[in-house]
Amino acid sequence: MRQAGTTAWKTIEGILLIAVALVFVFPFLWMFLTAFKTMPEVYQFPPTWLPESWQFQNFQTAWRSGPFLTYVWNSFLVAGGILVLQLLTGVPAAYAFARYRFRGKEALFALTLIALMIPAQVIFLPVYVELSHWGLVNTLWALILPYGASAFGIFLLRQSFMQVPDEVIEAARLDNASEWKIMWTIMVPMAKPVLVTFGLFSFIYHWNDYFWPLIMTNSQEVRTLPIGISMLKAVEGGKQWNVIMAGNMILVFPILLIFFFAQRHIIRAFVYQSK
Amino acid sequence: MKKVRGSVLACVLGLTAVLAGCGGGNQAATQQPASSGTGGTTAQPQQQAAEAAKPVEIDFWYALGGRNGEIIEKMVKDFNESHKHIVVKPAYQGSYYENHSKVLAAVSAGNQPDVTMVEVGSIGAFAEAKVLQDLGPYANGAEEKYIPGLLGNSYWKEKLYAIPFNRSTPLLYLNRDLLKAAGLDPEGPKTWEELQQFSKALTKKEGAKTTTYGFSTPIDIWFYEALVFQSGGNILSEDGKSLLINEESGKAPLNFWTGMLKEGIMKAPPGEKYNAWDVAKQDFINQQVAMIFTSTGDLRGLKEAAKFDMGTAFLPANKSYGAPTGGANLVMLAKSSDEEKKAAWEFIEWMTDTKQTIPWSLETGYMPVTKDAVESEDMKKAYEKEPNFQVAVKQLEYAKPRPMVPGYKELQEVIMTEIQRAVLGQATVDQAIGNAVEKGQKLLKK
Repeated sequence: MRQAGTTAWKTIEGILLIAVALVFVFPFLWMFLTAFKTMPEVYQFPPTWLPESWQFQNFQTAWRSGPFLTYVWNSFLVAGGILVLQLLTGVPAAYAFARYRFRGKEALFALTLIALMIPAQVIFLPVYVELSHWGLVNTLWALILPYGASAFGIFLLRQSFMQVPDEVIEAARLDNASEWKIMWTIMVPMAKPVLVTFGLFSFIYHWNDYFWPLIMTNSQEVRTLPIGISMLKAVEGGKQWNVIMAGNMILVFPILLIFFFAQRHIIRAFVYQSK
Repeated sequence: MKKVRGSVLACVLGLTAVLAGCGGGNQAATQQPASSGTGGTTAQPQQQAAEAAKPVEIDFWYALGGRNGEIIEKMVKDFNESHKHIVVKPAYQGSYYENHSKVLAAVSAGNQPDVTMVEVGSIGAFAEAKVLQDLGPYANGAEEKYIPGLLGNSYWKEKLYAIPFNRSTPLLYLNRDLLKAAGLDPEGPKTWEELQQFSKALTKKEGAKTTTYGFSTPIDIWFYEALVFQSGGNILSEDGKSLLINEESGKAPLNFWTGMLKEGIMKAPPGEKYNAWDVAKQDFINQQVAMIFTSTGDLRGLKEAAKFDMGTAFLPANKSYGAPTGGANLVMLAKSSDEEKKAAWEFIEWMTDTKQTIPWSLETGYMPVTKDAVESEDMKKAYEKEPNFQVAVKQLEYAKPRPMVPGYKELQEVIMTEIQRAVLGQATVDQAIGNAVEKGQKLLKK
């Protein structure tokens, strides 16, 4: 009886999950299908599902609209560079917040959290002027350095470092392990799911960021993908949705790939947290 | 200790200077004009000539993406090839307003471009902020060659600050096939009354569902400005200090729109700002709407997408014809050096010259900006072939500049929000206008 009940629940749960998944997948699917259509077909009403003839040249058109290889390379450098810096600054900070007692800790942590509440648009001008004084505007550094520390990352890591039992650290200290070693060889591996999750969040956010790179760069050589794709979009004169969607496909493809490989860890991270 | 610190600081500063120098200066080395194509005479005393004739570099920031952006890039390339003493470096900077923020940030940091595009409604704010160079001494009367109807947004406090470049105006776009099928004049409605009659005749219903709407327009400040002008009014007083939309001419447009919406013969496309424009254009292309207001800048794109006989006409008149102009002007920045300004002027003049503005207009749908261009054989031939391109230029006779007091950008957001509330039926026309005036008046500098 109870068995039957649970299977019924399982079925309902499954149907619900599939329904929700469809809602989320639909825009992606639409983007994918639009990317292969001809312009008249994009505007057709009622809309068609499958393209009448698959137009692979939309991708070529998008790719050739600018130095796309440079954009991709820059996007990787920026999103990757930011992530490396954020981990280098975030792990020690989170460890200190989680495990040390020192004066002003609460205040410092509060300050860190306040940083979460300030949008980039508010501080861009002072940061821009500062970078300009250092001669860094229109370089990749201008895109990486301002994001070298992440309050969100520190917060997330601190939570997971706090969950590590005291005994583990005590044992390590008895073995004369240095603090540095404890942090990197004991704490970090234990927080791996959280690290991967944060890494993804950070990478995706900066991969897709449009505002900051647009403000901080003036020339093609140092620009990232989102700006290249926004150039496909004319305000007046009709938008070539098929080419824009092809550009967007180029933009999301690497993310999807990374996501696909990291999926396991993400699920683990949330399960881990809820223990 | 102090001394050491000082020297470190000096080193850091020195390094910065080097970096900045590297960032800005390494282009010049690669941009040496090749002497192969030019005559051998200039190539002889090359050592000194190269020193003296180093080309002036200027930065040009533009704000058009897509095909129009590609056309701009190509024009700049042509300019660079035909002007060996100047190197223009073009850079796309996002939409009009993204470009505006960038320019202002760059000015405060001291690495601003030398030439940029500024949306016509924002010229006043930029001039007032002392960002723009007075072009009077450079133009020396050359501004006479531009179409007077397009110069309205070029002056601020009696000084010339901007030259018309990509200029548009709203038009009434018609699906002539649908008009003919309904037994209507394919030239389209001439007055508000006719627009209403046409819309009624063109609207088709199947049961309770409307399959074709007669008319649709994005509820946008630009079209509201147009209808206010047509009703013999203005958005702002002459001195730019008070909002005039609570007069009859400010209410008439809203009464007109809400009336047609209630009647079910007009569609207000959903979506914010340009998304609503996209919806209106798509409905028009799919023949679900027979007539729309949109920009001349859409002429080329719509013509290619429409599978029916597409026509354009003046915006219908209430008391008179009327339309704002739009688009952007080219400006020069006050902070550039004299040498850069000289080069910048040469570039602006070239970009807006008859020779360039004719192909520019024909390829994009934006209006040609010089009187000679309109009179030219090329343009006349093109107009014979495609009369639609001429409608915008003819309508200029009734066009007025957009308001451009500092703060109008914010003000238009306020007015838009209230207009939309009236259109959506969340407020009466009087309430919406009352709110807009109350909130908007605060934004105008006293």
